[in-house]
Amino acid sequence: MSTASDQLLRGQYKEGFHDDLKIVHKVPKGLSHDVVDYMCDVKDEPRWMRDFRHRSLDLFLKQGLPAWLPGLRDEIDYNEMTYYVSPVEKSARRWEDVPAEIRRTYDKLGIAKEEQKLLGGLGAQIDSEMAYHNIQETLAKQGVVFLSCDDGLRQYPEIFREHFSKAIPPEDNKFAALNSAFWSGGSFVYIPKGVKCDIPLSVYFRINAEQFGQFERTLIVVDDGAFCHYVEGCSAPVYTTNSLHSAVVEIFVKDRARCRYTTIQNWSTDVYNLVTKRAFLYKSAVMEWVDGNLGSKRTVKYPSCYFMGEGGHGEVLSLASADKGMWQDAGAKMVFYAPNCTGRINSKSISGHGGRASYRGLVQVNPPAGNCRVQVNCDALILDERSRTDTYPTMEVDGDLATVEHEASVSNVSEEQLFYLMSRGVKKEDAVSMIVNGFIEPIVKELPMEFAVEINRLINLQMEGSVG
Amino acid sequence: MNPVAAVHDRRGESALTARRRRIRIMTNAFSRQTVEAIASGDPPWLRSQRLAAWQTFEKLPLPTMRDVEWQRFDLRALKLDKIGVPDSHATISEKLGPLAPELARKGVVLCDMRTAIAKHADIVREYLGKSIAPGEPRKFAALHGAFWKTGTFLYVPSGVKIADPLEAAHEFSGHGVAGFPHTLVVLEPGAEATLVQKFIGGPQDGANGVPNIHASGTELFVKEGAHLHYVSLQNFAPNVFDFTLKRAHVARDAEIDWVLGMFGASFQRYDVECVMEGEGGTSFMYAAAVLDDHQQFGQFTRQHHKTGNTVSDLMFKNVLRDSAVSSYAGMIRVEKNANGTNAYQANRNLVLSDKARCDTKPILEIESNQLRCTHGATVGRLEEQQLFYLRSRGLTEGQARDVLIEAFLDPVLARIQVESVQKEFAELVHRKVVR
Repeated sequence: MSTASDQLLRGQYKEGFHDDLKIVHKVPKGLSHDVVDYMCDVKDEPRWMRDFRHRSLDLFLKQGLPAWLPGLRDEIDYNEMTYYVSPVEKSARRWEDVPAEIRRTYDKLGIAKEEQKLLGGLGAQIDSEMAYHNIQETLAKQGVVFLSCDDGLRQYPEIFREHFSKAIPPEDNKFAALNSAFWSGGSFVYIPKGVKCDIPLSVYFRINAEQFGQFERTLIVVDDGAFCHYVEGCSAPVYTTNSLHSAVVEIFVKDRARCRYTTIQNWSTDVYNLVTKRAFLYKSAVMEWVDGNLGSKRTVKYPSCYFMGEGGHGEVLSLASADKGMWQDAGAKMVFYAPNCTGRINSKSISGHGGRASYRGLVQVNPPAGNCRVQVNCDALILDERSRTDTYPTMEVDGDLATVEHEASVSNVSEEQLFYLMSRGVKKEDAVSMIVNGFIEPIVKELPMEFAVEINRLINLQMEGSVG
Repeated sequence: MNPVAAVHDRRGESALTARRRRIRIMTNAFSRQTVEAIASGDPPWLRSQRLAAWQTFEKLPLPTMRDVEWQRFDLRALKLDKIGVPDSHATISEKLGPLAPELARKGVVLCDMRTAIAKHADIVREYLGKSIAPGEPRKFAALHGAFWKTGTFLYVPSGVKIADPLEAAHEFSGHGVAGFPHTLVVLEPGAEATLVQKFIGGPQDGANGVPNIHASGTELFVKEGAHLHYVSLQNFAPNVFDFTLKRAHVARDAEIDWVLGMFGASFQRYDVECVMEGEGGTSFMYAAAVLDDHQQFGQFTRQHHKTGNTVSDLMFKNVLRDSAVSSYAGMIRVEKNANGTNAYQANRNLVLSDKARCDTKPILEIESNQLRCTHGATVGRLEEQQLFYLRSRGLTEGQARDVLIEAFLDPVLARIQVESVQKEFAELVHRKVVR
């Protein structure tokens, strides 16, 4: 199990360092319309975006937190945060053009240039801006677009404006409004009709600044019959103050297209990770969210599938690991507006060393949906008496339109299983590790190999000393 | 409608509309004066309980659709200010019994609450309000706490085992009136009893006029090694708004077997809880509801494991027809150090109409690590295959449907251990299912 704090205690949260970077742009701390104007000027944005940002900031200030969301009310001092910090002038296309000190940061994180060979495209964001974004020649030739979101706005204004904020408008929730006001960086991906982008596009998000708010914005459009796999990872230094990461990810999976979005979230335990992720599925589209949450102080994230066209299929595989000082409030949403759709949510969580893992989910079936099927499975493993696990699923069904099934279980590492393994000569620690690994295996096997290896390594690290 | 707009409109109610929705209560019948009138003749401790409950009621806002638990329910039709003087004696008639003379000689008490306060003050005082406290932040439980007058008191001394079921029927009558029956059951260590409660009646001439309000409170204490079989049926006439709160405290090695039936009333909010307070305690909670027309039921269950090595099992089955609305939210709460808890919770919904609406929200909150907790919730339709099978045996589509609905509820009925009550329950189901 993960991670950040526990590894830190043993000096193992290897991402916990911070670098002194030369700052190109930085705004004074606090929320204000001046900050919005400053960002628009730096980014040289069109009028409509400036208006959109100002409107969003007003919405953020007006809006309360959703009634169902516990905590967070007085936890975050929004005026102590800095909303725009950029150590780079512009996103580089060649790794050599990335400032050397930022390259060093990424080298330490192991996002080395070699990895690019395995990927269709690689992006790297540090604080507010993308330091690097590049895509393989072959994909670029097929018309695949993989840019920072800011460059997407500049270079593909029509596609951008057609989709931007259409799945997640700033009215949606307080954090979406915050992101809409201060968004910067993130990816813009467009996969043209029929193009199968088999090798993953990958982006790594890094927070380096202190008391900082990172608001990346990702917009992915997978056109008819196309395929795309997008992978993101993230980390931050360990400070004594809190940072805020509030992303918005909008995905449009058009007719018969398929998209897979994989996240491995490993923020340090002083980061509030409050993210809105939503995919719109059109006719016979397939959306797969693979969501791994291993770090952060509090994560609030429910990747969603909104079924807008007939015959769509959505899946969310969610893995949460809550260690000391963490509250993983993760889950999924399936919202149906079209008939003959199917959805599946499979959630696994582990809580240990006083961590809290909550599954929160929504299945909502609205007319004109009909003949829809949803299956939700949540399993939680709780490792010690200081930890906590919750399940908060909500199912709302309008009429006889759907078959909805939800099952959840909570259990511990059972004595019987331990006894069985130990009677075969396996050490207790290894036995616990094996049981935990077996528990999360159905989700880990869906991850790209490098990530799967990394997760197993993290879990094993965490198991050390957890028995006794 | 533009589906994108629809997505955001569903919950996009502005704060202003919500404020407009919030009903201001102009309580006429419900006031401190009427509470004091109700309390005249009460012992001082009871009087102060009532006044404390009234304070709670006044302090709490009326729930609105902005509140997560109430988002499906619109209480605007409930006109508290139009309801007449809430004297339960006038609106609820009670039939209790039968209690065999030899049981009375052994110290078993079954009587109405007024008699209980007069004749068994010591026991009543020890338990009354200990489970449903006057300060509990529930609007309608507080209203009940201030105004209840009638109700049932059952006391079974240590080791007394009662084989035959005891019945308590509460019949509600009148128009635009309120009824607040309170039930207090104490089973001393090793005692055994079966209590069947019926909540019936209500305005008879259809669903016009000011709705009646009915708010009941039930406190059940099952002490060490005792066993209570508790059956409760609600079959009010339409145009009743019912608020029910039932809570059982289950001590070491004690057991409670609940069977709950919900059939009548235009609106019902049903809160039912078991608090597991001693090792070896067990609670089996089974419920069946059949909703049709515009009936709206909210069901809130809580399995609260304060102590380890306790078992709780729960199954709520709902059948929805026409434009019925049901909203189930069930919580399994396992406290720290309640190791060895074994809890299960199932909510199964059969939706038979495209206009019905069904929500289900099974919740787990777990702070122990040596345990097994599972829950399951389903919302579904009748299986085509099963219908086909029955029709191929010569049943009409309607008959086949009825058979399947009754079969769906059968596991709940099967939990009733008294044959006559089981038959009565089945009859209620049958009358509601067959059209």
